[in-house]
Amino acid sequence: MAEPLVARSALRPHVAPHASAAGAHGVTLREVENLTLASVAALRGREAELVQAVRAAYGLDLPTGPARVASGKVAFVGAGPGKWLAVSSAPTEFSTLPAAVADQSDGRTVLRVSGPKARETLATLIQLDLHPRTFGPGDAAMTHAASIAVHLWQVDDAPTYEIATFRTFAATLWRWIVEAGQARGLDARAED
Amino acid sequence: MRIPCPYCGVRGLDEFAYLGDATLIRPDPAAPGAEAAFHDYVYLRDNPAGLHRELWQHASGCQSWLVVTRDTRTHAIGRVEVARDVAAARGSGAE
Ligand SMILES: [Zn+2]
Repeated sequence: MAEPLVARSALRPHVAPHASAAGAHGVTLREVENLTLASVAALRGREAELVQAVRAAYGLDLPTGPARVASGKVAFVGAGPGKWLAVSSAPTEFSTLPAAVADQSDGRTVLRVSGPKARETLATLIQLDLHPRTFGPGDAAMTHAASIAVHLWQVDDAPTYEIATFRTFAATLWRWIVEAGQARGLDARAED
Repeated sequence: MRIPCPYCGVRGLDEFAYLGDATLIRPDPAAPGAEAAFHDYVYLRDNPAGLHRELWQHASGCQSWLVVTRDTRTHAIGRVEVARDVAAARGSGAE
């Protein structure tokens, strides 16, 4: 019998080196592992049905703009008109939703960047204005970081950001963030 | 140059890809005179000094195709519409 495919981290120490500055840590970099990820696209004419289904299954109202809504282990992040990235920290069957659903669990890597210097670190890579005046918890955006396509959202006021990228770019993005955090008290650790 | 994407908000030019004239409509290949119509469709372009409606894709963002009205003399951006809505309004193309 075929073994089920299990998503494995794209990050290993030889491609995503550990780094830990002495003294207080201004910014922490981690991979968010064991996520279930799925792209969800509304079917034309069945948008309302999808909204209802997500509300019934997860108690969430799909955001119409670039925003993230979360409840328990499940979150939906706006990914363009009629499109979302579904994220869950537990095994979750998103394919039953009345929409075009494609599993992305082994296709994307999610990095978490947090701490008082997180914003300043990301500002060296991302042209988007992440100042709290314009970007706060619950806000999301698709853009590029050091020319790598990223989908990012803010989780809390620490501030904590999560950045989803295609897994083939994960190690490169990791090293960019490590480089940017070098002078900002970075602590970066990919799991072994 | 900055373009206000209806979904994402104002973003820099580096996130967008340019296609060209947004007013062109693909001729019907079965209609009489289709060959001449296709010649014009493929090769002939106006080159206005002033307002130009053109297709841009928010390639590094939400991927939406947009119809942007740009002043070719100043690069000032006027209206930005979702291309799908524009096509639906004129009853052609992908809605
Ligand atoms: Zn956009």
